Amino acid sequence: MNLESVLVVAATLFSIGLFGVLSRRNIIAVIMSLELMFNGVLVATIAFARFTAPAALLSSSGTVTVDSLRTALSGHVFAVFVIAIAAAETALALALVFAFYRARQSVELADATQMKH
Amino acid sequence: MNEPFSTSSTVTVAFYAASVLTIVAAVLVVTQRDLVRSVVALAFSFIGVAAIYFILNAEFIGIVQILVYVGAISILIAFAVMFIRDLTIAGALSKNMLLSATASVLLLAAVIFVVYNTEWVGIEEVTHPDAVAGLVGEYTEHEQNGRRIVRIASSESEDSYTGVMVDSSGTIGALLIRNYLLPFETLGLLLIAALIGALVIIRERRGDAKN
Repeated sequence: MNLESVLVVAATLFSIGLFGVLSRRNIIAVIMSLELMFNGVLVATIAFARFTAPAALLSSSGTVTVDSLRTALSGHVFAVFVIAIAAAETALALALVFAFYRARQSVELADATQMKH
Repeated sequence: MNEPFSTSSTVTVAFYAASVLTIVAAVLVVTQRDLVRSVVALAFSFIGVAAIYFILNAEFIGIVQILVYVGAISILIAFAVMFIRDLTIAGALSKNMLLSATASVLLLAAVIFVVYNTEWVGIEEVTHPDAVAGLVGEYTEHEQNGRRIVRIASSESEDSYTGVMVDSSGTIGALLIRNYLLPFETLGLLLIAALIGALVIIRERRGDAKN
């Protein structure tokens, strides 16, 4: 297990999600595929946090500050932000799906042809 | 490879098992015609991703993944699927499947090409003993010229901490409160806005019930 193998898994997850977004006709299925794409990005973020180091820690002399040590985990904080934003996005997207279903009695992307009903 | 950052072969096997679970479940999500089965596969894919987080020493993110994705988002999508029961036609794939597959495979090939042709500055290039101790060993904090500095813990040192990559939760909390406080508070605002927005969108307007 190294950085490259984890990144390949992340890219595969992202590509499967992209395929779903492009090929599915049902809106809920597209939302599920979007979640897969989010997860691919998150795996890459955590992989970078695990396998790469901030530049401040690379020099072999001098002192190491607590702040530069903490920045080694910035990727985890990024992941927290992405998870929270993805959750908000999913809630909003499903609300839109319900509103659309009430207006058109359909969940097909091809039926979403106008902004107002 | 430097010894302190390497992974054991057991962990590597666990990583490949979790990856296979994640990717097989993800393929099922996008190919199943029945949306209920898609949601179940999606939950399994999320669990596989959580396992990958645990393997990558990100236990806090792994727990958040299980709570938020497996516990909340999967259930939310399952509710949506069960409310809107057009499931027989729902899973049908569209005509431009070949085009979608080509685009996805091309993207995957491009990313893999870039991944293997980039010189990553790996964590095993961290050689400073204090830095290595601060990441994966035992370290102590000292005050020097107004800055907090990290020293490798010796046997007689009293208040030593476990390295930030081994014990990550506390460090994430410190980062959120100290370095990323404004984005963190803005995130709370965004969640409130999303909550109110979802309620406004989904609210049944007077007169809607007739048509």
